[in-house]
Amino acid sequence: MDIIIEDGQEESPDADVEDLKEELEAIQITAEPIIEPIIPTITKEDFSEYPESYKDNTNKEKLILAYVENYRRQYVHLFRDRKPLFLNPLNECGIEKFVCTTLRPTLLSYKALYHWQGCAEFVADYLTMKQLEPPQELPMCLFSPSTILKRQLGNCFDFSNILCSLLLGAGYDAYVVSGYATKEICLADESRQICPLLQPKKEVVKEAEKPEPRKYTVKPPRDLRSKFIIKMEARRKKEAEEEEKKKQQEDEEKIAELEKPPPDALYGLRIHAWVLVRGGKREVPEDFFIEPFTGQSYPPSSTSFLGIESVWNSINYWANMQNCASGCKDMSFDLMDTEKWEYMLAGSDQSQIEIPDVEEELYDLDDDEKENDDEKHLDMPATWVLPICVTKNQYEMRCPQGKKTTLYKKAKLEKYANYLLKDGLVTRLSVYDNNELTDLKKVQEWFENREDKLTTRVHQDGLITEDFVEGRPRSLQQHVYKASNPGPEAERTMTFFHKARVNGLCKREETPTEMTEHFVNRDDFLYLRHVLFGKRQKKVAPATAEGPPRPILKITEKFHRNDALPASKDVEEQIFIIHEDKIQITYHREDPNITASTRDFYKPPNAEEKGGSLQWSNDMTNTFQVNPHGSPAKNLAIYENLLQLIQTEQKSIQAVRSSEEEVKDILMDRQKEELASELAISVYDTERNDKAKKHRKELERLAMEEKLRRQEMEMDYLAPFLAQIGNPDKISKTQAFKLKEDCLADLKQRLIDKANLIQLRFEKETSELHKRQQDYQQKQVAMTKEDEEQYFNYCSEAMFRIHILELRLNRHKQMAPHKYMQLEQKLRQDPRLSVYF
Amino acid sequence: MSRLYDTVEPSVIDDEMLRKAVEEQGPKEEAGKIAKQEGVDYCDVLSLRLDFRNILKVDNLWQFTKLTKLQMDNNIIEKIEGMDALVNLRWLDMSFNNIEMIEGLDKLTKLEDLTLFNNRITRLENMDSLPNLHVLSVGNNKIDQLDNLIYLRRFPNLRTLNLTGNPVCDDQGYKLFAVAYLSHLVYLDFRLIDEDTRQKAHSLYENKLGELMHNEKQAEVAIEAEKKAAQELLKHKDAYVEHLNSPVLFESMYKEDPEGMKLSMLPGLQDMLKDFQDKFVEVCMKIFEFGMKEYEKRCKEMREFNTCIQDAEAANKRQAVAVIDAFEEYKKKLFAELLVTSDAEIQERKMNEYHEGVNETWDKIMGLEMQLVDQLEETIKDFERNMTDLMSQLVEYIQGLITQVRDLENSHNEKLLEMCMTVLEKVVKNEMDEELPDDLRMLFVDKDTIVNAIGASHDVHLMKIDNREDEIVTRSGAWLSGHMQKIHADECARNRARVVEITNYIDHLRDEIDTQFMP
Repeated sequence: MDIIIEDGQEESPDADVEDLKEELEAIQITAEPIIEPIIPTITKEDFSEYPESYKDNTNKEKLILAYVENYRRQYVHLFRDRKPLFLNPLNECGIEKFVCTTLRPTLLSYKALYHWQGCAEFVADYLTMKQLEPPQELPMCLFSPSTILKRQLGNCFDFSNILCSLLLGAGYDAYVVSGYATKEICLADESRQICPLLQPKKEVVKEAEKPEPRKYTVKPPRDLRSKFIIKMEARRKKEAEEEEKKKQQEDEEKIAELEKPPPDALYGLRIHAWVLVRGGKREVPEDFFIEPFTGQSYPPSSTSFLGIESVWNSINYWANMQNCASGCKDMSFDLMDTEKWEYMLAGSDQSQIEIPDVEEELYDLDDDEKENDDEKHLDMPATWVLPICVTKNQYEMRCPQGKKTTLYKKAKLEKYANYLLKDGLVTRLSVYDNNELTDLKKVQEWFENREDKLTTRVHQDGLITEDFVEGRPRSLQQHVYKASNPGPEAERTMTFFHKARVNGLCKREETPTEMTEHFVNRDDFLYLRHVLFGKRQKKVAPATAEGPPRPILKITEKFHRNDALPASKDVEEQIFIIHEDKIQITYHREDPNITASTRDFYKPPNAEEKGGSLQWSNDMTNTFQVNPHGSPAKNLAIYENLLQLIQTEQKSIQAVRSSEEEVKDILMDRQKEELASELAISVYDTERNDKAKKHRKELERLAMEEKLRRQEMEMDYLAPFLAQIGNPDKISKTQAFKLKEDCLADLKQRLIDKANLIQLRFEKETSELHKRQQDYQQKQVAMTKEDEEQYFNYCSEAMFRIHILELRLNRHKQMAPHKYMQLEQKLRQDPRLSVYF
Repeated sequence: MSRLYDTVEPSVIDDEMLRKAVEEQGPKEEAGKIAKQEGVDYCDVLSLRLDFRNILKVDNLWQFTKLTKLQMDNNIIEKIEGMDALVNLRWLDMSFNNIEMIEGLDKLTKLEDLTLFNNRITRLENMDSLPNLHVLSVGNNKIDQLDNLIYLRRFPNLRTLNLTGNPVCDDQGYKLFAVAYLSHLVYLDFRLIDEDTRQKAHSLYENKLGELMHNEKQAEVAIEAEKKAAQELLKHKDAYVEHLNSPVLFESMYKEDPEGMKLSMLPGLQDMLKDFQDKFVEVCMKIFEFGMKEYEKRCKEMREFNTCIQDAEAANKRQAVAVIDAFEEYKKKLFAELLVTSDAEIQERKMNEYHEGVNETWDKIMGLEMQLVDQLEETIKDFERNMTDLMSQLVEYIQGLITQVRDLENSHNEKLLEMCMTVLEKVVKNEMDEELPDDLRMLFVDKDTIVNAIGASHDVHLMKIDNREDEIVTRSGAWLSGHMQKIHADECARNRARVVEITNYIDHLRDEIDTQFMP
């Protein structure tokens, strides 16, 4: 504030501090009487769970509180008729804290919380609202966000505080606003509002681009109607329309009048806190309000917000200097404008809120230095609150107990946490026809994590619409059916993900007597098959429970143009009139033609039966050919065509039957799935995935077993000796000594044996070599070259072997005592014998 | 061939043989009966087998235009001929014959499978027009040149090749050579080529192959460039300004001008000539640029015209189709009703109603057609007017430029004359410093000769320029009138076809009810 700065300039710094201290004391004294009624609620709690920063103020905080007090006093002095500002409420430990330091900008690690919609929705869902008591007074306390999140209960200031912290963390230019609002807003009463899910979406009407007038566009035929009559007609129509509109408007007004809330005695006095998000950061185009109880956004011009006393965020605090007689409609939120907003801390905010240009910044650098030399501003102390943290479980639970019900105008919205309900329901919106919510009109349900991939179900006008995501066995996308008749052969529409289907089916519409299938991207260019069913012939005793299939009267198949064929041979439509044994073919139109060739076949009865070949007669066909000069088709070709068509007809009937089968299968599957209503659990969800948990435990168990087995595997060198004395449970001293003796003797024997063995081999090898040498010397003259070579080879090998044996013997001799000593040591330490040594 | 020539009686392909073969290989049972009744046209036959018939000469196959498969193995054919009409052939088997040379396949561009097993062929050749060849079987022949296999590189689709029993197979490197050079091959001599062989072959012939491929690529690029140039030239021709972006016209003036050539040897003339050429070519360039610009304009105009006409026709067609569809719907309903009613009076009334409906439909679609004719006529007139304007503009401007060219030539001629006069004077006075070539000196005997020579040269030049001008004028005029005539003729044909179609349809409608419900 201007005044305090002047003061500071006049007084020496020390004196200033002294002064502040005094002021500080003064504040505490004045605050005491107000604290009293709240103390009992606070003292109930144990403060020990709170960290130091909650229970005490640092020097800097004390300084800022002095500053705040100064600000408040000046404010009160200047605006005697205005309500006090919300500046330094008590925290949960009864310590005064400046509101700006209660904010803690935090970005949580959930994707949805990176956008203001997600943050607002989370805060609105997660906390339960508590209205201010009394509604026209500021609260005495403002708890830290961590405490509020733990209790999941708070008033509008708590809500705004947390929401603003999250928004600041996500990079928005957000502020807590303290002001006045209507009763509906303060009580979070949305029953007069249209549910946000029901609000008609603004359709972006794209004006059809007018084709540029071309030079050679043909002139339209002359319009021979009377211009006058047309004009009169248009005028009359317009008048009627206007009248209709007027009437509608009047009706709407009447309804609005009736629905108006009753007058509120405290109108304009109810205190409320909400969040202001200013444009400029995070691609926010213009300022708007977020109502923290509902998470809804409002434009500043909204009539629900009646006035503003002050705004603040973690950087600064501003008091409003503008007149709020007409609500917030005409208010300017340019906080730099000192005419309209009175800031508390000078200098601390400028650079942070304005986005400086790079050049300016460079230029500013020197300026800043100068400024810093000139005057030092008090900046905001660090926040005292604990970090805001929300665990994954808490985040997923959303609302307290995972449930929340909101009433809107003629609608009820219920929200549930994921995995809370057995059928995976997360949201249910019930729309009613009246305000008393008794006349149910429409129910819309959203599901998550369903094993059967169901996402939404809408029940309206007796029709049920179910939507699925991709991945179902038959690629069902949407299923619309009558609630009263869910069985097969009833009215229904099924939409499919045609890309996932082999037959390219994208839609199947059914009525009791008809079935229409639409196809996309088929190799045979088929895009529509329409079937007309007849009535079932009544039989006395049906063989199966379902009875015979409905008789097919007519199958119509339509094809796209196949460019590989000439148009006059490319079938556009083929109709099998089965009960008349007739086939009608219509070919595609040649490009310039307006008529299409047709050909009708009259098949003899039972033509499709195999065996006897079909007899041909000329009256079996009737042809209309577009081109009268073209050569008529040969009888042979027509005959072959007919044979082929008879086969096609059978195939089409087959296809229809399998479609019927499929419908039955899908319905059966749906029924089963509805009964089971299993929820899918992601493999990455280690918390819920029992299978993964089991698997992990299994792995742990296996590792354990492996370890045990390895322990067992280690050789027990005492085992054979113990066995000799009959594996006694306890070993006496004499036995122990004997065991030791035996064991050592055994080792000694083995070592000696081994040495003997090596010695023996060595000797044998040497004597052999000796013998061969003698032999060689005797026969040297008579020997062939090959023999000689063999001999030399043998000699060198034998020498090598002897050398190795020698080395081994030496080594053994060296190692033997060591080994003996080692065993002795080990025996001494053996748990079974160590008692006696 | 193991069979001896003179022991068998050679036969020829005659009508009887063909008829029998077609009948034998044609449809069977009921279909066969129908076929016999109405006879089979040779042009409808898709496959034909003429094997073991001792045919000596291939002939009389010109009617089989739709044939896709022809088997003529085990005959004594000596020459591949008489198959130019079989343009749809995909499968040709001429194995076990006495063919000595591959030829006569130029028209069979769709051929995919060619079998010439056991013949006397010595070279792979004359198959350039068969880009679709998949399978080639030339085993048991007399191919002996390994390099000849490179010929097969031009078939990008060739997957199967059979060469067993040829002398070339005795070459040790034959297999690797074939695999290396014909990298698309999958089967060689009845066997799948395995990866091992492929790699071996590739490493063996890597260098040679690289060189070959490089050459092939270059040839390809050259062909491509040539094609592009030809296209460009075609475009220039359509704009009537071909070669005007180069000194071709200038050079052509001197080409047929012996005096001018001689005179150009005159000392000091070179610079003048150069100057003249520069100016000349500059003006030509202007003509060229203008011509191309106008050409683009014309093209745009034509495109616009065509799209508009197509739009109008399409819109008209939609309307007419809607009328017809509506009537067809009505007809179906009416027929269904007629079938169930037996009351003669109601039938009578309904049929009258139907006939009225037919008349009404006729009125409607004919009216639409007349409307379209009127609309198109007007639009075509507009288009013609605009095109004529464009053309006259073009011609006028180009004529103006050509006048400039002529002026250049005139001034050049005057300068030349002046220069020659001074030279003549010098020559007469014998003051000439430099030696003139003999044939040039011949011109400088007296004034008349030199003036005549220069005059002749000038005339030739002017004639060339005039010719070029005339060419542009006549060609552009001819194109315009031809194009407009074509548009008119097309429109006329379209109208006639539509009227015929409508009449045919209406007749059909009238017949239909009569045939269906009249006893």
